[in-house]
Amino acid sequence: MDNDLQELEAELKRLRPLAPSRAVTDAIARQLAAAPRRHRNFWAWTALPLAAMVAGLVLLREQSVAPAPTPALALAPAPVTAPMSAAARYKPVSAENLLYAQSDAGLVTLSDGTQARRTRSSYVDTITWKNSRTQASLKWSVPRTEERIVPVSFQ
Amino acid sequence: MTLFRKAPSIESMADIPDDESWRDWFQHYGPKLLLCARQWTRSVADAEDVVQDAFVRFWRNQRKLGGEPQALLYTSVRRAAIDLARRNSRRTAREVRADGGLESIEPIFHLPLEGDDRRAEIETALRGLPEEQREVLVLKIWGELTFEQIAAQLGLPPNTAASRYRYALAALRDALTAADCHG
Repeated sequence: MDNDLQELEAELKRLRPLAPSRAVTDAIARQLAAAPRRHRNFWAWTALPLAAMVAGLVLLREQSVAPAPTPALALAPAPVTAPMSAAARYKPVSAENLLYAQSDAGLVTLSDGTQARRTRSSYVDTITWKNSRTQASLKWSVPRTEERIVPVSFQ
Repeated sequence: MTLFRKAPSIESMADIPDDESWRDWFQHYGPKLLLCARQWTRSVADAEDVVQDAFVRFWRNQRKLGGEPQALLYTSVRRAAIDLARRNSRRTAREVRADGGLESIEPIFHLPLEGDDRRAEIETALRGLPEEQREVLVLKIWGELTFEQIAAQLGLPPNTAASRYRYALAALRDALTAADCHG
């Protein structure tokens, strides 16, 4: 790269992007302080993909286990292999949230008497792990429903 | 001169309980996330909503996954921006009032030591870049992602990401040179 481009690159790196407003930090603090809402059917929705993932892992493990040696072969010394942790080989590479449905659940009245609108959004969260050694990847998708209550005055 | 405080170590982050430790992390990464979000949203307010959503989601659900949390966060920001765009498209025209993402006249950067003119020139030049070049530049310079990570974010081959980055820098240089000549 040209010297002048390198100088420009260095100049750009010295610029500091503006920070989010104080309101964003306050809103994050409020959201993190509140217990995360789980949908009523969360475990029902989660159980199926979780079971599928566990079954897949068990299947992989079964396939990787060598068959029991015959008596003749058992006389030969067993090959020594270094123990390897399956969890250590897979690293998460992406997490995606796909919005596939949204509905307006109508107006609600908050405790202070103000009106708010309740919206319901349905997502599919997909997390992908990848094994950089074998390039194998593992995807876990789980549906999630999120409800938001937004004061009408802000709409 | 150190522009940012040192970020909390990623390795230790997984062991931190849900206390106030997120504030240090957000103070470090919040501005970078906002800048990225502004490329993909119609207004600064939308970009802040996107950053808020993505950060809360990351902190609650994804930070303990290990791997590259920075890349996960940018993915989360991008997805949140796409979701918001879908929601916005369903609004009536009356409700959609864009005050501009990076297209707006809202400043993008803090005032550097050299003065406001240079910052303004850079911001103008940055806004003039084609969108596909600008997003690569922003993710590389301020997002501090590698070309491989940028390529994964945007669904591009890494070589294309690297080419767009070089084109963006060259276009910025030309625009700034022209601004100097006319200024």
